[in-house]
Amino acid sequence: MPDYGHDLLFGSFITPANAAPERVLDLAQVSEDADLDLVTFQDHPYQPAFLDTWTLLSYVAARTERIRLSGNVINLPLRPPAVLARAAASLDLLSGGRFELGLGAGGFWDAIEAMGGRRLSPGQGVDALSEAIDVIRGIWDAGNKERFRLDGTYYQVDGAKRGPAPAHDVGIWLGAYKPRMLRLIGAKADGWLPSLPYFTSVDQFAEGNAIIDAAAAEAGRPPAAVRRLANISGRFGQGGDQLLSGPPEQWAEQLAALTLEYGVSGYILMNDDPAVLELFGQEVAPATRELVAAERSRRR
Amino acid sequence: MDYAHPLRFGAHVVARTPQEAAERARLAEELGLDLVTVSGEETDTWTLLSWVAGRTGRIGLAPHLLDAAEWAPAVLGRAAAGLDLLAGGRLELGLGDGAGRWEASGVRPLPPEQAATALGEAIGIIRGVWGSDTRLPLRAEGEHYRIAGAERGPAPAHNIPVWTGGTRPDPAIAAGADGWLTTSGGLAADQAVIDEAAVRAGRDPREIRRLVTVAPRAAAPEWTGELVAMALEHGAGTFLVEDADEAALRRFAQEVVPAVRQAVAAARAARGVTEAAVPSSLVRAHRHPGIDYEAVPAHLTTIEPGDAGYARVRSTYMRGGSPGLVLRPGTPAEVADALAFARGQQVPLAVRSGGHGISGRSTNHGGIVIDVSRLNAIEVLDKETRRVRIGPGARWSDVAGALAPHGWALSSGDYGGVGVGGLATAGGVGWLVREHGLTLDRLRAVDLVLADGSLVRADDTRNAELFWAVRGAGGNFGIVTSFEFEVDEVGEVGFAQFVMDASDTAGFLRRWGAAIEAAPRDVSGQLIIGRPRPGQPVIAQVMLVVDADDAETVLDRLRPIAAVAPLLDHTIQILPYSAIMHVPPGGHDGQGDPVARSALADHLTADLAAAATRLIMSGETYFFQIRTVGGAVSDVPADATAYAGRSANFQLVAFGPSRARLDAIWDRMRPHFSGIYLNFETDLRPERLDDAFPGETLRRLRELKRRYDPANVFRDNFNITP
Repeated sequence: MPDYGHDLLFGSFITPANAAPERVLDLAQVSEDADLDLVTFQDHPYQPAFLDTWTLLSYVAARTERIRLSGNVINLPLRPPAVLARAAASLDLLSGGRFELGLGAGGFWDAIEAMGGRRLSPGQGVDALSEAIDVIRGIWDAGNKERFRLDGTYYQVDGAKRGPAPAHDVGIWLGAYKPRMLRLIGAKADGWLPSLPYFTSVDQFAEGNAIIDAAAAEAGRPPAAVRRLANISGRFGQGGDQLLSGPPEQWAEQLAALTLEYGVSGYILMNDDPAVLELFGQEVAPATRELVAAERSRRR
Repeated sequence: MDYAHPLRFGAHVVARTPQEAAERARLAEELGLDLVTVSGEETDTWTLLSWVAGRTGRIGLAPHLLDAAEWAPAVLGRAAAGLDLLAGGRLELGLGDGAGRWEASGVRPLPPEQAATALGEAIGIIRGVWGSDTRLPLRAEGEHYRIAGAERGPAPAHNIPVWTGGTRPDPAIAAGADGWLTTSGGLAADQAVIDEAAVRAGRDPREIRRLVTVAPRAAAPEWTGELVAMALEHGAGTFLVEDADEAALRRFAQEVVPAVRQAVAAARAARGVTEAAVPSSLVRAHRHPGIDYEAVPAHLTTIEPGDAGYARVRSTYMRGGSPGLVLRPGTPAEVADALAFARGQQVPLAVRSGGHGISGRSTNHGGIVIDVSRLNAIEVLDKETRRVRIGPGARWSDVAGALAPHGWALSSGDYGGVGVGGLATAGGVGWLVREHGLTLDRLRAVDLVLADGSLVRADDTRNAELFWAVRGAGGNFGIVTSFEFEVDEVGEVGFAQFVMDASDTAGFLRRWGAAIEAAPRDVSGQLIIGRPRPGQPVIAQVMLVVDADDAETVLDRLRPIAAVAPLLDHTIQILPYSAIMHVPPGGHDGQGDPVARSALADHLTADLAAAATRLIMSGETYFFQIRTVGGAVSDVPADATAYAGRSANFQLVAFGPSRARLDAIWDRMRPHFSGIYLNFETDLRPERLDDAFPGETLRRLRELKRRYDPANVFRDNFNITP
């Protein structure tokens, strides 16, 4: 390790501004047309300038054919997990298995509380997220004929009917930076989705991977059960020492290195410029895939 | 009891599988029904509804009694507004009291009395999130929900009707529910309950639309008779066929709906009943005195203070407003109708195109605004002569975008968010001004609505005097409904942004002015200086456009200007004119009243540069700007248009925090000026009119004003009193 061997995903991260909804929809369409694998939207339900992310995901899913969709990441404190689970399964069924569940513990507690949500400490937030994952998986477990009960500290389910089951194994990807969250990922989640600009060094991938891998081993899961993704930012320019500031072929080299050395297999570009998304999907993605495939076959 | 609501017909689609529900909703749209309501069994209702919204284009949409607690009411309110914006104003919100919550979430439902209270609280919160009559954060302290200062917004695209059902209507109706859902069996009994609840809440029972679910029936004639009776005897206004299979849905839409419409229309005509929807008293409660809202012609699109979209239209770019009524005509004839109505009301009248005016008061307090933003078409009339027709409501960003594919551009202002109407009737100083003249210099004809409501065309041969006046004082003479311009061939241009050390402020201004005057006409631009910061050098931002697409010419033109002061930073790009003008769409939410003074100057003389330096160093301006004019602008004789400041090479503006202090300094600078550029001048003292329009121009304008607007209807921007 750490190349965990996952196929690569390339995606977009589009600002869900409500001042011009058609522009957001256009960028989602640009993402699909540029052969990106994934379109994602941040979720800040307390932010009045944004479209509601769940609504937007559902609307965009209806207007696209191929591209996968995810919140990046869904704000758990303002979206009750049982409802979220059913909504996620519904969207996955409607979209033919194109939905993934990026999920976060929440961070802007003043704003969350102002909207009627419950204020938690960061530690409590992690515990609540852990319970929420149990709730979500319990609802999705439609084959289980027993009514669903869960008496948690933060969430209680008192005999809910289970189902629907999603159309495919929806990945639960957590936005995380600190050890407790990383351990939760190793124990229960399907993906790690941090934002690279929040890192002080790419070595934080290695540190995070080690914690996730250890927690996964403890839970009896192989490290490859957890996909590593990253929100990235950058620009296409002349190049230089800086990460993701050169031409597409240099981006591809740098991303391939992140895949082969740090095991990252999903790259989500935070950018609202259609020309940049097109370059990312049309040039960076295939070139990165080619470099990674070549190196993987050499190592085999 | 017939409440005389216009009839609507819809389908309630129940999702056994989500795909099937989505298909049924599309069929309902294809069949021409008005509304589709959806509810999931296992499927999440809001997700399904949002999906259906994305797969349909016309039909109204509602969740069928969604539990408002599912996503938390404040989140649901924001989600509903967002879906309404995405779906182009098609959303209605059918809310339930959570009786089904147990199935969905495993949380036990509340006892009925408490559930009704909780629903009322939720409706209040949802409407509060949409609320546009206040900028204060939303607070709610209920038994069931607590909102501790959430930000409001967005406003939905239209007033989203909220409806619910059940047997305890008081809390919901008091909180603003607009409709009540019942079944065909319960209809007769429920109506009295709703009427009484409405009266208890101080509302007119006719405000509450009655929705009824009806079971599919095999025989269309019986089905029709049943519905007609419900409409005429029990006040049902919206019929939702319940969980119909495809055959039943077709029978309903194709046989029953037309028959019911016909029978009800005939019966109403015989009884002398006129169909009308009574607006919610919660909307009417925000109405202003002095406006006869009931008399507004029904075909006009209106926004009043209680309406959802009010927050988006009340204010302009830099000025806060609280008009009592905004009229949004979509055709020239509607402009005339709007004007006729407004003239009959004893309140202020403002006319707005893009709402970017700094001098133009395109909003007011308690008055009427005629907002022509829907008149925004951009149309090529003749490729050979590059003749283009543009509506006053288009924005310059849109104009630049529409002309770019032809290799054309129209000299406009320097910011793409500005509307066409206000700029093209007063001046138009921007990135191509020295080469191609003012925007109004490219104008060849206008169509406008005069104060008396007549629609006239003015150009060099027809109503030539009016055409003369429109070019520089247009706001005084009518509402232009379309402009015809001759545009220019403009390819990619050089766009430079310099950051310059202006420590030697007076010297910098003088040298910059001289370099500009020496530059060929393909150079236009501006400089901006902010409030100096203690201990730091004065910094000038200089932006220039060179109308050339080869780097060598661009650099040749820029070099002498770059040499006037130490260059701290710079970028130079070659890009389409439309890229410079591009701004994303978005509304205005200005507050307060801007303080800005404006002037034209022939040269940046040593005396003017020294006076400007004193102004800058006084700290009384946070934004001091000089834009280039001259060139092609000066080719036009001063008496050829009402815009007379043809000798000026420069246009100056200063924004300040204090009117009195800025005026004191600016008034002393007056000897250095040769006129005023109207659109940046906020001073209302009468002598500004003389600065704006030199003697003969003003005399001519007054005479025309007496002819075309003797009652002084148009008085909001540099009013030429008749």
